[in-house]
Amino acid sequence: MAVEFSKNQDMAPDRVCVRIADIDFALVSVDPALKIQIQGASQDFLIPEATPHVTIETRWDDLSAVELSGQKLFESGAVWQLYQSDSMYMFSLSSKAMGSVPYEVAHVRKDWTYGEALLHRGYFDMDKSIYPLEYPLDELLMINFLSLGRGAEVHACGVVDSHGNGHLFLGQSRAGKTTLARLWQKEKGITVLSDDRIILRQMDEKIWMYGTPWHGEAGIACSVRTRLTRVYILLQGKTNEVVPLGRTEAATKLFARSFLPFYNPEALEFTLGFFEEVAKAVPCYEFRFLPDRGAVEFIQRLKD
Amino acid sequence: MKDKPDQETQQSKKPYRKPELKKVALKPDEAVLGYCKTSNTRGPGIGVCDSPVRCYVIGS
Repeated sequence: MAVEFSKNQDMAPDRVCVRIADIDFALVSVDPALKIQIQGASQDFLIPEATPHVTIETRWDDLSAVELSGQKLFESGAVWQLYQSDSMYMFSLSSKAMGSVPYEVAHVRKDWTYGEALLHRGYFDMDKSIYPLEYPLDELLMINFLSLGRGAEVHACGVVDSHGNGHLFLGQSRAGKTTLARLWQKEKGITVLSDDRIILRQMDEKIWMYGTPWHGEAGIACSVRTRLTRVYILLQGKTNEVVPLGRTEAATKLFARSFLPFYNPEALEFTLGFFEEVAKAVPCYEFRFLPDRGAVEFIQRLKD
Repeated sequence: MKDKPDQETQQSKKPYRKPELKKVALKPDEAVLGYCKTSNTRGPGIGVCDSPVRCYVIGS
């Protein structure tokens, strides 16, 4: 559902809601000087209003003297670090291109349902609207919220065929997800949910796959869900062929192609169990393929 | 008196297989969102990371 906002930045909303994988996020500006603008593919996930599962309040701040208190849980080696105190997690996001002060700090409750995102006013043009949950923060919030028994985000291209069946093509970078997504897009009756990120959830004893706003180079992001029918682990090959995978091997390969809170043992345990359920529910294959239309035709002809 | 083994139970038991340790290849930079998503998203893609020097590797 598309929600229109005025292009007049004075009219930019102070509260926006998005729905991703049936999880509703509310982003609320509690600072009159901070105007929210949803950008890019996330606009297709906007909803008019919701009783949110996750609420993030946001405001400008001066982070030059911010204290990163608590235990350092994780260092990504790139933009973000994670700390924890007794009651909260804290993300610190920094960019060398901007400076040594974090450009954003987000405090989040340990159940991931409420948080506060503070943006360093010294780095931004405060006259312009902004999206405070800019990657990677929005994805980090989602990954952690999912990991508490709700599902998992995988590195995958998701396709709905003309019969409504969901095909999940998993792969690390350069495996061919975007290439496949572009090939599928040319077929009639096909919907591509994403060329890079799919969320899996178990609802009503079925496994569902959801599109997300976090697309790859093909820019494909669709806010639709479908029932998962098959899983394919992508490998480049000299011909198109599939090799069935056992449950344990499939679950392991799913795990290696997902986005997980590695600092949370309970989350990892849930996710491993969830991937076992996925591997039990649908046929899983290794798919060696050639990057042309033949790969799509091969899958369309495949019978379990 | 010992119970005789239940033949049905014996037949349904799977043969013992010694646990194996297998390595799974993980790309850590990707797995922890430690890279730029696309050429248009360099971390804080609000127009400020407009450096001539690319900060990160694209990992879509």
